[in-house]
Amino acid sequence: MSSYHLNRFLFDLKMDGEAYERATGDLDRALGRYELSADETEAIKQGDPRKLRQLGAHGMLALYVLRLNPEFQRNIYWSQK
Amino acid sequence: MSFVAAIAASHAPNILLEPGAEWDEFMMLHYRMAPQAASTKPSLEAQQKLRRDAEKAYAALRADLEAARPEVLIVVANDQFVNFAYNNIPTFFVTLADEVKGQFTRHRFRYRNGKELGRAILKAGIDAGIDFAFGEYIELQHTQTVPLHFLLPEPKIPILPIYVNTWVEPIPTPRRCFQVGELIRKVADGWKERVAILATGGLSHFPGSPRIGEIDTSFDHKLLEILREGKGRSLAEYSVEEICKAGDSEFLNWMVAIGSVGDAKAKETFYMPDHVATGWGFVSWKI
Repeated sequence: MSSYHLNRFLFDLKMDGEAYERATGDLDRALGRYELSADETEAIKQGDPRKLRQLGAHGMLALYVLRLNPEFQRNIYWSQK
Repeated sequence: MSFVAAIAASHAPNILLEPGAEWDEFMMLHYRMAPQAASTKPSLEAQQKLRRDAEKAYAALRADLEAARPEVLIVVANDQFVNFAYNNIPTFFVTLADEVKGQFTRHRFRYRNGKELGRAILKAGIDAGIDFAFGEYIELQHTQTVPLHFLLPEPKIPILPIYVNTWVEPIPTPRRCFQVGELIRKVADGWKERVAILATGGLSHFPGSPRIGEIDTSFDHKLLEILREGKGRSLAEYSVEEICKAGDSEFLNWMVAIGSVGDAKAKETFYMPDHVATGWGFVSWKI
């Protein structure tokens, strides 16, 4: 099964400021814009990059789920691409 | 002859981060992906020494680059999900923008783009059976900006970003990348301006993988030895699997530069594993 929508969501978290704002504002609603499996949705909500990688996310996109984690939201990582 | 310089350098983000707080904050994310990598975390003093050593390597490359007086700098790098995503991932891409911009933390970058040379490379590629993708907009990222910060901090000359897909399978073979380099050299040799090439990336590292933190220093040293011997052409025989097993998929960017220098020997090489993720490598060829 394609992981396109999973990777697309993570890519949008990285590159699309509005998508990031939507995800931090109402994650359920933001995820509704993508065709995600129940496992993918759950892994995103858990904020677990390693699980996302196992589900087919590229490792360096999986990392971007941590943008939703309050512990990392101001991390310097996001100020470079 | 208008091909005047060839260099290759790592683009690891931590090279441009300040040792200490910035470096540690940045690496927290990688350690969340691969907790075992934190066991080799370098001390502040070690981070500072790595930065100094990298600056020395970049300074040597910059001196060679400036001595060659290029009028346009081709920058061969990989995209890391900034310009290309899973709806469209080009194997090779030539930038035809008027200008290119990007940002790395507090550092901003803006260069004119050598699009006329880009069009010539595109056309030559089509004639030779290498059909590049192309486009009129890209955003620079750390794969270009980290080396450019040290090598071309002032936008005195245009750059020409060329991308190689080194991250999303299937990736091109070392042989194909070498052929792209040969094509670039052929165009550059007949070009009206003095052309230099910079390849970025590597060396051994496993970003986004459970193997983050592993660095195959033996493989890296072997690569650099081959380049010092002027036998880079032999690296075209490597398989994608051999390159990836060593964590050197970004060496494919270097293979383009190697194709452009042919049998030239590396004049200088530098190598320093960062004990975090990446074997930092630097090369300047004698053209």
